[in-house]
Amino acid sequence: MKISLSWLRDYLRTDKPASEIARILTDAGLEVGAIESNGVAIPKVVAAQILESVQHPNADRLSVCKVDDGSGTPRQIVCGAKNYKIGDKVPLAQPGAVMPGDFKIKVGKLRGVESEGMMCSSKELGLGEGADGLLILSPDTTIGTPLSELFPAEEVFEIEITPNRPDWLGHLGVAREAAAFNCGELIASSPALPSTKKDASVAAIAAPEAASFYSIRRIDGVKVGPSPEWLRKRLESVGLRSINNIVDVTNFVMFETAQPLHAFDATKIEGALTVRFTNEGEAFTALDGKKHKLSSNDPVIADARGAQAVAGITGGTASGVSETTTSVLLESAVFTPTVIRRSSRALGISTDSSYRFERGVDAQGALAASARAAALIVEIAGGTPASELIVAGSLPALRTVPLRGDRVRSLLGITIDDAAIAALLAKLGIKQVVGGFEIPSWRNDLTREVDLIEEVARLYGINSIVATCSGIPAPSSEADKAYDFARGLRRRLSGSGFHEARSGTLTGSRDQASYATGGIVTVRNPMGEEHSTLRASLIPGLLEAVSRNLRHGVEAIRLFEIGKVYRQEQPEESTRLGLVITGRTALENWRGEPERSVDLFDLKGVIARLGNPLDPITFRPATHASLPLALEILMGGKPAGILGVLSPAATREVMVGGNQGQIVVAELDLAAIQASSGTGFSKDPKSFGAIPKFPAVRRDLALLLDAATPYSLIEQTALGAKEELLSSITPFDIFSDPEGVKVLLGKKSLAVALTFQLADRTLTTEEVNEAVARIVTRLRETAGAEIRG
Amino acid sequence: METQIEQLRVEALSAIAEASDAVALKEARVRYLGKTGSVSLLSEGMRTLSKEERPVMGKLLNELRAAVTAALDEKEGALTAAADAAALASIDTSLPGTAPEAGSLHPLTLLVDRAVQIFRRLGFAIADGPDIETEWHCFDALNTPADHPARNEQDTFYLPDGRLLRTHTSSIQIRTMLANPPPIRIIAPGAAYRRDEVDATHLAQFTQMEGLYVAPGVSLADLKGTIEFFFRELFGPGTEIRFRPHFFPFTEPSYEIDLRAEALGGKWMELAGCGMVDPAVFEEVNKQRGDSAYDPEKVSGFAFGFGLDRLAMNLTGVSDIRMLTENDLRFLSRFTA
Repeated sequence: MKISLSWLRDYLRTDKPASEIARILTDAGLEVGAIESNGVAIPKVVAAQILESVQHPNADRLSVCKVDDGSGTPRQIVCGAKNYKIGDKVPLAQPGAVMPGDFKIKVGKLRGVESEGMMCSSKELGLGEGADGLLILSPDTTIGTPLSELFPAEEVFEIEITPNRPDWLGHLGVAREAAAFNCGELIASSPALPSTKKDASVAAIAAPEAASFYSIRRIDGVKVGPSPEWLRKRLESVGLRSINNIVDVTNFVMFETAQPLHAFDATKIEGALTVRFTNEGEAFTALDGKKHKLSSNDPVIADARGAQAVAGITGGTASGVSETTTSVLLESAVFTPTVIRRSSRALGISTDSSYRFERGVDAQGALAASARAAALIVEIAGGTPASELIVAGSLPALRTVPLRGDRVRSLLGITIDDAAIAALLAKLGIKQVVGGFEIPSWRNDLTREVDLIEEVARLYGINSIVATCSGIPAPSSEADKAYDFARGLRRRLSGSGFHEARSGTLTGSRDQASYATGGIVTVRNPMGEEHSTLRASLIPGLLEAVSRNLRHGVEAIRLFEIGKVYRQEQPEESTRLGLVITGRTALENWRGEPERSVDLFDLKGVIARLGNPLDPITFRPATHASLPLALEILMGGKPAGILGVLSPAATREVMVGGNQGQIVVAELDLAAIQASSGTGFSKDPKSFGAIPKFPAVRRDLALLLDAATPYSLIEQTALGAKEELLSSITPFDIFSDPEGVKVLLGKKSLAVALTFQLADRTLTTEEVNEAVARIVTRLRETAGAEIRG
Repeated sequence: METQIEQLRVEALSAIAEASDAVALKEARVRYLGKTGSVSLLSEGMRTLSKEERPVMGKLLNELRAAVTAALDEKEGALTAAADAAALASIDTSLPGTAPEAGSLHPLTLLVDRAVQIFRRLGFAIADGPDIETEWHCFDALNTPADHPARNEQDTFYLPDGRLLRTHTSSIQIRTMLANPPPIRIIAPGAAYRRDEVDATHLAQFTQMEGLYVAPGVSLADLKGTIEFFFRELFGPGTEIRFRPHFFPFTEPSYEIDLRAEALGGKWMELAGCGMVDPAVFEEVNKQRGDSAYDPEKVSGFAFGFGLDRLAMNLTGVSDIRMLTENDLRFLSRFTA
């Protein structure tokens, strides 16, 4: 909403500059976003005539001028411009002038020659870019005239008006507020109100849901023509286009009082103007020339022939004011906000009028606005208004809202007595009466006690409130525990070289199907196919990040993301941990250690470490549509996620540009990891067992196995037989020979380290030997293992 | 004999002194102190001495042995130290270190976490709620009129079943009050969605932090103090905070919060909305709960909410908000945890 400062000053007597008024309005809740300024508002800049100009003795590019600024004594000015000739009139900033950018003009020497001011370009005056060089004024300009008279400053505020304050949608309302906040004095004017009469043959309300009040004033003998200069300037200053004097007056009064008005050509109206809902499908041509098909939800102003206006939204071409109009019917009404909003939206027509009716107009103000517009029409277009205003419906009585001083004090946390509260509210025209406070008609937003408390808070000023910072601490919640767990996990992963990713949850459906099971949640009104579903897996987002980073030439990628995924089944939303690795295992360095690309086991190891040592994570082979090599991740024996290697085809799709290697991905349910993790301490401290005091004995075995025999069989066979002395088994070398020389074809060599240890004594060589022998026997029988060398 | 002993001492000590490496020193040790070494051979000669001479020569011989041993040990120590020093001196310590690659935490994570830790100092607990919300939780319960523009399909994402993607984390206020009686003191970091065209300053999904405190006697002064404490902790004690009266359907009085801090580039920045919980919100919660736990005559509360994405942009110096979701490692790796 544009508020012109000079227009505002018609209703507000103030000597404050624009910046101060803007600050006061902002503190009151009218956020002034920008102050546009056209024209010159700088004192001590005047029109001056160049009398002579000579070359500067010490500078090629400068000249020394004598100018007449009307003060009687010519001034000497050093100037760099070249676009003038002797006798030209130009703007002169005299010493003391403060130019835009807080640049003060002083008497001073330029390259050794005294200069008593500055001749200005249009840019230097803030009049826009303009031509290069000095602004050459018209030859008939009187020397000495302040530039602020030649280019009157037109400062315009761009204000964000909150939807609860439609009274601020006119200059008068803003002036009222400014005055209440000590920005100046309100210049009140109350036009003489005409007498009113009900006459259903002129104005009627057939749809009381759509309008509570409707009025028509007939003005005969008007002469439609262009508006006077002052009116055009006012409208242009707030971004409106001048149309003709009648329409301009209705717009002017709307931007003055916030009450929209409409003028019909009286000769084009047959019978009574009636507020009613339309008949379904009724055709209507709006003032902008567009044809609309109305629905039965659209309120119209209809005469005997049909709709002449969509109530509160737009007039129609058939009955609009034109050059031939001599009699007008001036409408001033109170339409129902919700009805106007619904209709405006359905028709796709939003106007200055509908904007105001949607938010609610000052009910009492409809009469004053009508009288004000009639007077202005008579003033600039002539004519004679009817002595009576024909009305339908009624204006509501003023409301009284109760207010308890204690409530004000406790809710705001301030000390203030009841009289001071009443004095503050009085500034807004809110009068203390029996039973509470009487609300002015333009404040539809004040209906409850709390609404008045807000007004007290605004006027008292939050800056005057002494801040306190107390409260009852809340016990930590399940969400706190989940947050802390995720926080710890994030830190562990970043500590082990993973970078945290965050991807959007709205994504394309195509990517989702590959990595998620169950129904995908779709959005009914997406911003395009690429954002049409809620992600069901974190993997596609991570793969997109991999692809992007590979394109940037990154050689080792380790990413994780903790975030929500969505699906149609319960739980509809769950938090997952997604991981992806690809490229080299480590950064290149000067040691020259052999390079290796990551594989499944690099990520398997990371995941295994996420678990609780007392309840280790286990893995089992799984089939997955998009991961030809896949393992199901089990925590506490229950499925908690998937780990796998992308298919070569999918890998190629991610690795545009011929990169090498595998892409390994994993996705786990965060709640499952959290559930198996505990607090780091065991509920049963004894379950950790004693820290072993006696030395361990290591024995290595080299086994020859069928190539297909899984390591897990060896591990289970060794550990599963209740071999009391054996505490762990670790594989440390696996070898097969495609030539069949070192190891027979179809066989593989597996070296394992067996660790033997007892908590209560040192082991003897004999008993370890016996245990190894038993294990070897079992491995031979169960896994077909032979002992090598 | 005495002369022999003295000659041997001079010879041995000079040989030891001349030994230039561990091998030469070992040779010297064998030559003088070995079973067939010079000192041992001299000791053999003791047998030929008289009873009176024997103790005297024995003492001299012992002194010789001790002196040679000491010289050998000292030289050995010196040689070892020299070798150790040489080994260290050959290391080019100017080579870069070779730690495994460092990971990083997303700047939004770091920001959320700083905010969470500050609010925890003030005794706030975390609350959460679903991104997929009902219109009731997101709008009706928050006193938003049925025909409010925020509800329309141009601004809000809807699911086919009529539910929506929450447009603010304020719906978590409602869920928390429905599930718990007062007092409530929560913060809720989370995602929210608006149908904005994605560009350098807008995302359709953004990160918010919501706060709510409801208890008997909570006042606007408490809100002011809490907000000021929080932002001064976050951006430093010199942070300027400005409250501008504003309008939100779910709070009254309502304010927008502007900040100016060095950490944010020293410019005023519109950052947050806050206010005292509107009694209409309490009434709606009571209606849904079927009790009067949130009787506006008995409890009052404040609420606040702010977006974290633009803050993260300011703190990380990126000019394009999309950087926060593109997972570019050149950007992410700056935030080593």
